[in-house]
Amino acid sequence: MTAQLRSELLKHRSTFTNLGLLLAMLALVLLAVLLHALSLPADRLDSASNQVQVFRFGPLLGALFAGLVGALSITGEIRHGTIRPTFLMTPRRERVVAAKIVASGLVGIVFGLVAVGVAVGVGSVALAARGIPVTLDGGDYILMPAGGIAAAALWAPIGLGLGALLRNQVATLVAIFLWLFFIENLFLDFVPGAGRFAPGAAAAAITGLDPDRLLAPSLGALLLALYAAAAAAAGAIATLRRDVP
Amino acid sequence: MPIRRDRDAARNVDEQARPALVPADARARDPVVTASSLTKGYGDVVAVDDVTFSLEAGTVTGFLGPNGAGKTTTLRLLLGLAEPTAGEALVFGRRYRELDDPARRVGAVLESNDFHPGRCGRDHLRTLALAAEIPRARVEEVLELVELEPVAARRVKTYSLGMRQRLGLAGALLGDPELLILDEPANGLDPAGVHWLRGFLRHFAEQGRTVLVASHVLAEVAQTVEKVMIIDRGRLLTSGPLADLTERGQTLEQVYLELTAGEAS
Repeated sequence: MTAQLRSELLKHRSTFTNLGLLLAMLALVLLAVLLHALSLPADRLDSASNQVQVFRFGPLLGALFAGLVGALSITGEIRHGTIRPTFLMTPRRERVVAAKIVASGLVGIVFGLVAVGVAVGVGSVALAARGIPVTLDGGDYILMPAGGIAAAALWAPIGLGLGALLRNQVATLVAIFLWLFFIENLFLDFVPGAGRFAPGAAAAAITGLDPDRLLAPSLGALLLALYAAAAAAAGAIATLRRDVP
Repeated sequence: MPIRRDRDAARNVDEQARPALVPADARARDPVVTASSLTKGYGDVVAVDDVTFSLEAGTVTGFLGPNGAGKTTTLRLLLGLAEPTAGEALVFGRRYRELDDPARRVGAVLESNDFHPGRCGRDHLRTLALAAEIPRARVEEVLELVELEPVAARRVKTYSLGMRQRLGLAGALLGDPELLILDEPANGLDPAGVHWLRGFLRHFAEQGRTVLVASHVLAEVAQTVEKVMIIDRGRLLTSGPLADLTERGQTLEQVYLELTAGEAS
């Protein structure tokens, strides 16, 4: 599988797609963090649970974009037809799927690291500039980046699995957006007992920022790992069983 | 002379033709490709219907038929990209998906545009070479072979159709394979490109290697191949040496039109 992994990593490096995604993510993180940190009234930013509203966009957008990277790594090949030469070179398709999981997970880690780093850095500076003391402690500074990276690494195979099932690039990307920004919010608002077990909420839980509403970080990590394994397995089975488009 | 068009007639042609097709010394060898009662259905549509043939080493075979006749589906079944509903397709005696080192045995191009438009030609070939553990120097060799070196660093979206055809061929040749399977390779090539391709395929087969070319451009095929298979509506209508098909003074075009027109009525 090493050969396939090297091939997949070169696929990630040799187009501007990932760079474009990274820049889009950076812009969104900056926009969301700065708007919250600079425009919310000071009395709504004084406690740790309030400041979560500022920082949470790092892990959330990191996981989202890692999911998009994973989805594109399979739907992009189907859309452009490179899936055919890929499977002609490696007809044992499970090796290709495994390499894609690892490669998009690694790229996802980079996205998670950047998103969380920028959110924490810019958010802290913005709060400090307004004279609001940052209530994150040393533990948060370890848990949030570590959790954000883990969430992104696990969301890449979720996107990949969904992409392998749906195959259509636009449908997959829209489904991921709708799920994370619409459907899960509905669940969290109306059936929070169930909503906190959803994959996006589990990703947010790993960062430990919102323990009142979400699962404990360790539980969130375990649950998200199960989602990732299930999505990857479903995508692998679909890829092995169905004819190549 | 009218040609009978039912499937038995096609079989008869096939069986009569076969002894002349295989040189005595090659008969002991295993065929490079074997399709046995190969069938592929999609719902109610039978795309490939009970197709049986074999290819011997060192031959260039033209796989002819109208658009939608089942040529590409047959090639996809040979290459393990699709699973047959019934029957079996073997390359070098095994299913493609079970070959140990497929890139070094079989090279194939099914579509003329299977590239990421934002990736340069050289990187496209490198992703394939890495997956098959083919040395990087070979990428430069095939780029030179298909004369794409000057544009190898350019993104594929800037390539003409002819350049894309040659890049696809370069990918198929990376592993220096013994069998080349090409679907409509002359599409988009200019006359010089077609001339080059013809010479290349002939040279390839002269080294004892095997070529299967699917095409609907008869004039092109007639000058390149020694064996012909004609398929329509999923059924193999005839197969045999080009010389046998045209020995009664008919052109390949006349034979083709008679066979395929009968199916359409």
